[in-house]
Amino acid sequence: MSTSEPDKLMIKADKMTKLTLTRWNADWRGATDLYEQAAVAYRRANDYEKAKIAFEKASKGQEMLSSPWDAAKHMESAASLAKDLKKWNEVADFYRRASELYNECSRAQPASDALMKGARALEETAPEEAIKLYTDACVLLEEDGKEQMAFDLYRAATSLYIKLEKYNDAASFLLRLGLAADKCNATNSQCKAYLGAIIVYLYAHDIEQAEKCYNDCAEINAFQGSDQNRCAVKLLTAYSEADVEEIKRVAQSSTITHLDHAIIKLARKLPTGDVTARNEASKEQEEPLDENDLT
Amino acid sequence: MTVIDIPFRVDEICKKYDKYDIEKQREQNAYGDDQFARLYGTFESEIDSAFEKSERAAFEQNRAVSVALNAEIRRTKARLVAELPKLQKLAHKKVKGLSKDDLIARGDLVLALQERIESIPDGTSGGAKQSAGGLSTSAPNNNHIKFDSSDGNFDADYFQQSEESGAFRREYEMHRMKQDEGLDVISEGLEQLKDLTHDMNEELDRQVPLMDEMEMKVDRATSELKNTNVRLKETLFKVRSTRNFLIDIILLCIILGTVSSDATRRQPKFFIPTLATKDNAHFRVVIFPDGAFKSIIPFRHGCVMCQASYYPPQGHAADPIKFAALPW
Repeated sequence: MSTSEPDKLMIKADKMTKLTLTRWNADWRGATDLYEQAAVAYRRANDYEKAKIAFEKASKGQEMLSSPWDAAKHMESAASLAKDLKKWNEVADFYRRASELYNECSRAQPASDALMKGARALEETAPEEAIKLYTDACVLLEEDGKEQMAFDLYRAATSLYIKLEKYNDAASFLLRLGLAADKCNATNSQCKAYLGAIIVYLYAHDIEQAEKCYNDCAEINAFQGSDQNRCAVKLLTAYSEADVEEIKRVAQSSTITHLDHAIIKLARKLPTGDVTARNEASKEQEEPLDENDLT
Repeated sequence: MTVIDIPFRVDEICKKYDKYDIEKQREQNAYGDDQFARLYGTFESEIDSAFEKSERAAFEQNRAVSVALNAEIRRTKARLVAELPKLQKLAHKKVKGLSKDDLIARGDLVLALQERIESIPDGTSGGAKQSAGGLSTSAPNNNHIKFDSSDGNFDADYFQQSEESGAFRREYEMHRMKQDEGLDVISEGLEQLKDLTHDMNEELDRQVPLMDEMEMKVDRATSELKNTNVRLKETLFKVRSTRNFLIDIILLCIILGTVSSDATRRQPKFFIPTLATKDNAHFRVVIFPDGAFKSIIPFRHGCVMCQASYYPPQGHAADPIKFAALPW
């Protein structure tokens, strides 16, 4: 029977690793080989549970043989199998372990890739966990000085936040993206990130926050001379004048069409809520100032 | 003398006798000595040309051309009027060969000339014709600003101008609108292109360090591969030396022999080939069923002698019954 073959291999490998009276040193090399063979055989037979276990043990064996690269690879395979089995907590653990092992090899890129795969797998079911994984992945890349790879991660994390309707977090992530872009002189991405942040604030109907954000961003030279800056100005003036038609027209413009998909969707839905209240609110703010000035 | 030569000869003769031509001499002398007369002559010619131009302008349909002609005429007139005082001064000068009456006559001539110059029509006399209906261009000499053109002729011209200019203006506005639309389309396309190229630029920037890393790794891999290839070649060379080949072949033959001997033990076989030796003697090879073979060389006396016999390893004796003495 073909299914018993990998079983036999597993048993043999287990025997090799167990320390008994007759065996003083565990034979990890042979055991790892057997584990790998068993895992492949299980996977072919679509027995994912046992394959996952076999991969875990193979990875442990590779660790003992001090080859973290192979160990990490096996861990990743185990994690993808766990994903198929829908064991989400195991998925997260495995991917984290894989990324640690990659870090041991001092290879930051695959480490963050592992975390990214984990995050993508967990997007639907455990979004907070996914966001944590994304954040860790971004941190890894930034430490290694490869911010450019982090753009995709930031964008994915932002869209996840928007899906969760955590707009403040989304906007702050976009600002972080802008910072990373600034470090690698990617001015276009930077300006797009800032415009995206402003739009997210406007969508959350937090106009003061949006204006504050705009004022912060306007001090950056790269943003000042860009199309996105002009677009942001138009949008904010349209808001302050409570001109709904103008807002809609700006939202259709090509500058916004080149942003991220999630942000375009938000922009098309502007304006949210009542725009006319803006002018009255600003007037109320002015009066206490006048009193202070007089006295 | 040919016909062609005739005009040349005539000219020569005329030139020779020109000094006897009184009128011509007078003209030349007059022009040669009399500045007044010369100047007067130029004045007259210019006035004539001005008159011709004015006549042409009057019949001209194209307004631009007529306006240009009139402007030329006016310029000429102004110039002539400026040069008149010079002519007058010359008129009072005394020239030899002229009588007092002639001098007075010259003064009169100058005055007449002045009148003639001023009489040249240059388009300003018909003032209302120049004034535009809709547009505001007008001749600089036009002092007749008529608000109430009751003249029937002018009315016809008036409307014609406004129609044309109105049509021109409408066409101009339409073209400008179309241009604006086209420019809008172009600007949109350019914006899209700009965004796309910015993104492409950043993507390429992102991939540059990746390519550098890849290059390094690939270089390392190629050098390792070269090393391995060289070592493999050396190993193969050692394995494939000629001596080893021969040994291989001999061993192969022996093995084949043993195999074939084992295989053919049970089968009877008579195989008698004829082989020729150097001295043309025939000898035959007989193969026994047990694998032994003998080569037989005949002697003269009919007896045979065996040579080069081979016995099978297991020591089976050759079966004498099967031994054949064959006639030849």
